Amino acid sequence: MIITTLNGNPAPSNFDEYLAQLETRLEEKGQTVNHIALRDIDLSYCIGCFGCWVKTPGVCSSADESCEIRRAMIQSDFTLWAAPMNMGFPSALLKRALDKTIPLIHPYMVVDQGEAHHRKRYESYPRLGLLVEPELDTDANDLDIVTNIFSRIALNFKSRLEFSLTSDTPIEQLVNRIVEDLYPMCQSRKA
Amino acid sequence: MPIEKGLKPTVGERITPPGHLTIFNGSPRGNKGNTRLMLEQFGEGFESVPGHTYELHNLNRLNDHKKFSQIFRDAESIWMGFPLYTDSMPGMVKAFIEALESLRGRENNPPIGFLVQSGFPEALHSRYVERYLEKLASRLKASYLGTIVKGSGEGIRMMPADRNAKLFSSLQGLGRELAQNGYLNPELLPEIAGVERYSALLGPVFKIFLRTSAASWHWDSQLKENGVYEERFAQPYAQQ
Repeated sequence: MIITTLNGNPAPSNFDEYLAQLETRLEEKGQTVNHIALRDIDLSYCIGCFGCWVKTPGVCSSADESCEIRRAMIQSDFTLWAAPMNMGFPSALLKRALDKTIPLIHPYMVVDQGEAHHRKRYESYPRLGLLVEPELDTDANDLDIVTNIFSRIALNFKSRLEFSLTSDTPIEQLVNRIVEDLYPMCQSRKA
Repeated sequence: MPIEKGLKPTVGERITPPGHLTIFNGSPRGNKGNTRLMLEQFGEGFESVPGHTYELHNLNRLNDHKKFSQIFRDAESIWMGFPLYTDSMPGMVKAFIEALESLRGRENNPPIGFLVQSGFPEALHSRYVERYLEKLASRLKASYLGTIVKGSGEGIRMMPADRNAKLFSSLQGLGRELAQNGYLNPELLPEIAGVERYSALLGPVFKIFLRTSAASWHWDSQLKENGVYEERFAQPYAQQ
């Protein structure tokens, strides 16, 4: 299974260590991990120009390194969105990266689950997971709000949010969740 | 993960009517976006009441976020508007929210309300971030004045004036009543929001409409103008 981790930690901290240990354990279990430290790539804000939909279909018009994110995501079986919470929501850095993934979908709309959603651009999309580091004041309501929003994002990315967990989760539990629960599903998706 | 369905609009508080409103426009398009047009209508309605004024700042001026956070701290009342980007706030709006971190839990933060508009025809898409915004106000210990949600917001700036007349009138009305009564008129909010969700009856009709060329005209005309219509389904990152 090819796994992409998008690390939206804006500055080095223990969260990086947690993620590094997780990735090492995933590799030891035979998975291929592609780690992108978002703070280390040139990543401009989406400016809503829609060039990716009407000028260069599928490609962002800005000359930053965001293509690395889109390629890694669409070529993975599973993508992990990872970031510390700040003001009740995952980091602005992760959000900046998410905004730059709309070239992966199409401007046309379709009805999905009785709602309007964008049409897919690719045949298949990775399964998705969310890992956040709580803030001091993070409560169950914050996590519920964020989980619902990221489930909506996953739905618009023609996929589903498999889990939404915090970095308080024991690493081995998270590894098992990804490898044992998701691996068979990703294999069946390819078949 | 199961997604919670049927979220209800949040309800704003009533406050002593403010005399001045500070508006932050969170559209990455700045002056050229649909969000600014809507916020201006709201601000003009507020200003139409004698003795009331508003100011507006564009959050796409990233270098000014520190200055804006000071303006926020000193404001009498705040409105923040943005277009829905991947089911939540645009990255630059989140960056501004993080610039407010030092105001977390501070006493006497100004009351705050929001406006969220999206290109989706149904308002429901914006209800999820609306709950975040309500919680954000609570995190700032600020009175929450409510969230104006607008579906089908993309393209407002391209519409002929008469097509926007009702929307603009409702937005002005909301601004005027905020100045007069200190709250968002709950009767005007559904008018602005539009369809919350397609009914079981209308859903199939909408589905058929989406298959027509009229539904994709907005995009097709631009794709053709740019000479890339035939490449519209390009998959540049597909594995070879």
